[in-house]
Amino acid sequence: MKYALLVALREYAENAKTKGFWIGLFIFPVIIYMSFEIQTLLNKATPTRYVAINDQSGNYGDAIDKELEWLHKRDIFRAFGDYAKKYANKTEGEGKKKINFEKIPAIDPEAMMNQFTDSNREVVQQFFDSGGVEASLEMMKPMLVADRPDFEEPKHRYHLVPMPQVGDASDMKQTAQDMKPFLKGDEMITVDGKEKELFAFIQIPVDVAEQVVRPNQPKMSIGEERRGVEYWSTNLADTDAKEVVERAINEELRRAEYVDRGVDVSQVQQVEKTYVPFVSLNAKKDVGEEEVSMADQIRQWAPVGFVYLLWIGIFTISQMLLNNTIEEKSNRIIEVLLSSVTARELMMGKLIGIACVGLTMLGTWVGTLIIVVMAKAGPEAELANAMLEVLTTSGLLPAFAIYFFFGYLMYAGMFLAIGSVCNTLKEAQNLMGPVMLIMIVPVFTMMFIPKDPNGTLATVLSWVPIYTPFIMMNRAAADPPLFDVVGTGVLMVAFTLLVLYLTSKVFRIGILRTGQPPKIKELFRWMRSR
Amino acid sequence: MTSVLELRQVKKMYGEFTAVKELDLSIPEGAIYGFLGPNGAGKTTAIRMILEIIQPTSGTISVFGHSSALEVRDRIGYLPEEKGLYKKMKAWSIIAYFATLKGLSRKEAKKRAYELLEKYGLKDFSDKKTEALSKGMGQKVQVLAAIAHDPDLVILDEPFSGLDPVNQQVMEEVIRDMAARGKTILFSTHVMQHAERICNSILLIARGEKIFDGSISEAKRTIPRRVRLETDSDIGPLRSLPEVVAVTAVDLEGVPLGAEQIGGPHWDLQIADNADPDVILQSCFDNGIRLRRFDHSDPSLHEVFVNLVGESAREASYR
Ligand SMILES: Nc1ncnc2c1ncn2[C@@H]1O[C@H](COP(=O)(O)OP(=O)(O)OP(=O)(O)O)[C@@H](O)[C@H]1O
Ligand SMILES: [Mg+2]
Repeated sequence: MKYALLVALREYAENAKTKGFWIGLFIFPVIIYMSFEIQTLLNKATPTRYVAINDQSGNYGDAIDKELEWLHKRDIFRAFGDYAKKYANKTEGEGKKKINFEKIPAIDPEAMMNQFTDSNREVVQQFFDSGGVEASLEMMKPMLVADRPDFEEPKHRYHLVPMPQVGDASDMKQTAQDMKPFLKGDEMITVDGKEKELFAFIQIPVDVAEQVVRPNQPKMSIGEERRGVEYWSTNLADTDAKEVVERAINEELRRAEYVDRGVDVSQVQQVEKTYVPFVSLNAKKDVGEEEVSMADQIRQWAPVGFVYLLWIGIFTISQMLLNNTIEEKSNRIIEVLLSSVTARELMMGKLIGIACVGLTMLGTWVGTLIIVVMAKAGPEAELANAMLEVLTTSGLLPAFAIYFFFGYLMYAGMFLAIGSVCNTLKEAQNLMGPVMLIMIVPVFTMMFIPKDPNGTLATVLSWVPIYTPFIMMNRAAADPPLFDVVGTGVLMVAFTLLVLYLTSKVFRIGILRTGQPPKIKELFRWMRSR
Repeated sequence: MTSVLELRQVKKMYGEFTAVKELDLSIPEGAIYGFLGPNGAGKTTAIRMILEIIQPTSGTISVFGHSSALEVRDRIGYLPEEKGLYKKMKAWSIIAYFATLKGLSRKEAKKRAYELLEKYGLKDFSDKKTEALSKGMGQKVQVLAAIAHDPDLVILDEPFSGLDPVNQQVMEEVIRDMAARGKTILFSTHVMQHAERICNSILLIARGEKIFDGSISEAKRTIPRRVRLETDSDIGPLRSLPEVVAVTAVDLEGVPLGAEQIGGPHWDLQIADNADPDVILQSCFDNGIRLRRFDHSDPSLHEVFVNLVGESAREASYR
């Protein structure tokens, strides 16, 4: 055992020195941190985008302008909500008042959750009608901490700019061609005396009203000539501008349509803003707690994250094991090693050493996850709170530890056996091909299983020992039947022991062999050997 | 003297092929034992069996009285035939690692590693990764790793291959240093000069079979004694001397000439076991034979080797 530990120590020290290890160690915390910060960072990093409109019909410019302005107002409202929560007095002390967010509609969390629904428009409107940022700040002053920075209004995301001078604007085809250099960044538009790149360009034809598609009416031929409104841009990933414009035009159009058909517009608007609240309930929960909270959502999906960590963790370190074994074999260091330790001690040492590498990595990952979540948690961070609750109260972490342990031993054993029969990394890669194919399955099923965690597919896969760690982890939050948990667990442990036993046989003989990797038949003979 | 290593009827089969045939061997304490034989003779196979890296098909091996080399691993140092190191490890840490595997504490091992690297001229490379070393330097590091724990028995498989003449000397020095401190050394080599210079005993095997086992001087006695002459004079008178058993015309290298070739100026006189070469020299003077060379030194180990295993060595290369 002493020798195995010495081997383990070297494996740990050497692997902990590799670039791959450190990259692996840091990449995950960075991802976690980014996923919390990315929205803010992105918003800050995205410059104001300039949009030009060639409205030949002349009816929609105002509507689009208004809609873009509304988008900006919503941004301000949201930013202010975040600001208020961030600098709210968290302690209720003398002379300080604690904010009751429910009481202030502008920053009511429920309203925040619903900000994409139409009813939210009312809330935003109300916010600005009652004085906007300034008035709210004044009202909330006593409830905010004293040493806070000033509220900074977010930038306009989109800015309407006049068309640059390009020939006859009524010739849409020609105009589109003329505008291309602007969109591609070859030519610049001038905004407030500065050169800017044009982000998008919208063309509304003169006869747009005749191109409207109505139910129960034969469609007009829509071809090159009559394809409705044109939205031109080189960045088709950012669809916000397109959606805003589309909504503005269609709403305006419908309003006109109502008028045409003699329907009262204000009535329609009223009707459009009616809605019934909707709540999801979980039948498994106790009376009074059935409401599906954010924590429940996270609880359902968190296992996916853990499966992913498990998978990445296990295969990163099993790969290390494979590489090291092949290095020792191809360098023939193995002979010196075997004159000092037995094949079994060597194998154990490697398994332990690499397991520690893996534990360090996963420990760091889970640790940072908890730290980041805890740092973010607090009255204003619902998401982080919910995550913290899930992490500490559910059995996910212990399950993760157990499945990591056995999953690792199982796959590490297989990789070690492969490593021991191959002389070069190339040979190993040939053998790894089929193994990879089998291994990839849990990644594919990862996203489906939470939707039906105790369904046939999930249950069947759980009973395949090489998938047990991943699939059971995947199901961990859905209270799988005890029979499944214990049964697959026992099978997994038994299978792991079998793998390790067979690996030790193959390893002992394979590690000294040179030349071609053995045939399957030969492998079986080794496994049966004394 | 007690024997450090004992092989009894050790045999190794690879499928149908016998790599080592019933080998008996006993190496006394403090010996420097040369393991000689043509390519494919079974040297490496025998060494691996001694170290328990592979199992013999039959027969017993005992090292320091133990039936398993692993039981006494702390007392054995081993340099394998194919040399290699962990590429990403530093020279000192490799030496230290192998030393800890042999029972040294980590602190001791580190100290020892630096000492050895300094002593054998690799001080500047102590903290370099081994991928930055040349092949020969790497090999030296490996040798140092094999002896860092100061083993009582050192087994080196072809320690001289790949070293330049200077480092071959360093290697000889390493072996002599160890021997001077009473350690037992077994090494295999193809270079007879090394064996001749530093061994006190040799084991010669060919095709898995033991051909010769004994001291160097005994080995030399396996080929007939002879005197080599170089002269332009007629050597007829020497043929009738009772001490001279046979006369062969040879070329400059000592290779016998064919019967149809005219002899001279080089001659090989095979002499009787108890004969005194001075008698022949005297006879040369008496008969007015003008000598350019009179050489009655012992045959080199090289000659012994060629004489004993020349045939099988050539055959093996056709196998
Ligand atoms: N793993 C193996 N499988 C089959 N045959 C082997 C194996 N290892 C060695 N042999 C055979 O055993 C014989 C002895 O090999 P060995 O390596 O011991 O020779 P050697 O004396 O060390 O030769 P060299 O001087 O070339 O190093 C060779 O004929 C070789 O082909
Ligand atoms: Mg050899």
